[in-house]
Amino acid sequence: MSAVLLLRRIRAYFVRDLQLELSYRFAFFLRVLSVLAVVTTFFFVSRIFTGGGECPCANSPFAQWRDPLAAWITGLAVLNYFMTGFSSLANAIRSEQAQGTLEGTLMTPISVTTLVVASSAWDFVQATFFASLYFFFGWAIFGVNFRGSFLLAFAILLLTTLVLASIGILSASFAMVFKRGDPFAVFLGTGSALFSGVFFPTQLLGSGFNHISRALPPTYGLDGIRGVLIEGRTFGEVRDSVFTLLVFLAVLLPFSVWVFSRAVRRAKREGSLIQY
Amino acid sequence: MPPTVTKQDETRTATGADVRARSTADDAAEVATGDAASRVTPSVGSPHVGSAIVARDLSKTYPVPLARLKRLFRRKSDTPTEALRDVNLEIREGEIFGLIGRNGAGKTTFAKIIATLVQPTSGGVVIHGFDSVRDEERVRAQVGLASAEERSFYWRLTILQNLSFFARLYGMDDRRARARIRELIELFELGEQARQRFGQLSTGNKQRVILARAMLNDPPVLLLDEPTRSLDPLAAAAMRSTIRRLAAGTPPKTVLLTSHNLAEIEELCDRVAVISRGSIRALGTPQQLRVEHGSTELVRVTARAVSREAAASALRPLALAGFSARAGDRGEVVCEFTREVGDARLDAALGALRAAGGEVVAVEAERATLLDVLERYERGREAGDHTGDAVELPK
Repeated sequence: MSAVLLLRRIRAYFVRDLQLELSYRFAFFLRVLSVLAVVTTFFFVSRIFTGGGECPCANSPFAQWRDPLAAWITGLAVLNYFMTGFSSLANAIRSEQAQGTLEGTLMTPISVTTLVVASSAWDFVQATFFASLYFFFGWAIFGVNFRGSFLLAFAILLLTTLVLASIGILSASFAMVFKRGDPFAVFLGTGSALFSGVFFPTQLLGSGFNHISRALPPTYGLDGIRGVLIEGRTFGEVRDSVFTLLVFLAVLLPFSVWVFSRAVRRAKREGSLIQY
Repeated sequence: MPPTVTKQDETRTATGADVRARSTADDAAEVATGDAASRVTPSVGSPHVGSAIVARDLSKTYPVPLARLKRLFRRKSDTPTEALRDVNLEIREGEIFGLIGRNGAGKTTFAKIIATLVQPTSGGVVIHGFDSVRDEERVRAQVGLASAEERSFYWRLTILQNLSFFARLYGMDDRRARARIRELIELFELGEQARQRFGQLSTGNKQRVILARAMLNDPPVLLLDEPTRSLDPLAAAAMRSTIRRLAAGTPPKTVLLTSHNLAEIEELCDRVAVISRGSIRALGTPQQLRVEHGSTELVRVTARAVSREAAASALRPLALAGFSARAGDRGEVVCEFTREVGDARLDAALGALRAAGGEVVAVEAERATLLDVLERYERGREAGDHTGDAVELPK
């Protein structure tokens, strides 16, 4: 398939989702407000530690947490993005199945793979917008300063999202066959929040839980991004995280694509492709 | 270059077709224009050159989902469902072909296999030279499916937004999409509703949008499931006229029509197949099916100036099958009997009535309808006749 055709189809889904979103304007407004509410909440929680002045943990071993609000904002923004990377592919299948529109779209000369990728385009644009909103509110209203290269942070973000999208493809395969109930969502959704250092440093987990933390790709992504944005690290200083993410990607991407093609074949054989 | 032999190729070879299919990942834009090199080329003993759809030994059994897992946990599971069994069909280009049968007979499965939404268990279907499994993206460019499913649209988007979305999925650029959508909006008289949300449309208008979408990329094959369902009589007549025009157009469209409206099937279809329990039971023109499965007709003769008793006495000696005589609403006598189509009993009956002093004012004959044909197969099914041998009637 030519790149022009692929882009045309991605645009089709993007425009469709934008039009659908515009038909629910109030929901969008509420979501912006909820980001502001979350950032404000964490601002006041951070005051417990800083007491309104300099952070008492300035000399703590958790270098990325010397400004807790900056660490939380980064964690929440990135978690939002990671979850989109992970869940949007499966959600694309589920929502098309549930709406009954999957049959209509699959009657066009579009492969299931293209459908899944194209239909998650809007989710990524939306996730980018809301992730930026966390940083914007933190900077504009609560005076949080980020340093380091935003470009490098964004590159690590994309790499981590690709790794999570590979797991998302496994999740979509699961949705294709089992329709509901997704062990990957439970594992990554709650696992990332608890073990990847979104709300507290992973070092606090202790040696037993550290193994779980190290098995989760978001841990490396978040560590790299915080290192760049909060500590001002360079590429050379975060290359271990980048390398680990590349290994995850090399293993997970081909495997998940293989599993997905098997799941599509199975659903067609069972005649359950459009069921939910 | 010799073809790579795969399981699918073996199937095709067994049906007498030479598969020279290319990868399904090729540009779908090429599909729309047709790529002769990738098509299944009919060989000796193979389908008619002008065939639009060829099904060979097509069978579909829906497996029990997750059967192995259920067995592992010793859970009781259903048995696999046989939806199609050894279906052999050839639908010609430009033909309006009807498929009739009860709910669950296999009509939808057949249509969905052609539309690539379901894979066959064995055998296969070739659509304009492309195999429905190997060349699914190409097949989809050849086929427009208008299912009875309204939910396959985005209810919060307008007709224009919905059609634009699907046009882009077909790979159309904006200019081409706009022009095609304008044509279809005009064809289906949807101009006034074009900017209304799909969810706000009447059922009849939704049905029109479903058909408009099926024709977005101007496919040579249309699969129509109950196309006049929910349309008012005038709109239904207009739709039938549109279908006829499409089939007779240049290039002609091939239409596979599944419907429970047998009168519509009779009116529109060049040929009809009766499907029951996944097997094609009979195949022919509507007239052939009627004659083959109902060689008798019910005759109703209305006469005046004769009493019911006198008419009965005059006709009784002819030993007419199913004879009855009753008084009509305006004092006339209505006599009914059945006869073999074309025999001399009608003439004899009319002569006897005239001889009794009657004046014949009307003669009506009711031959078997497709409904009778269908009922006959269903009665056979209930009586345990599951031979599954299709009878193609002489042309």
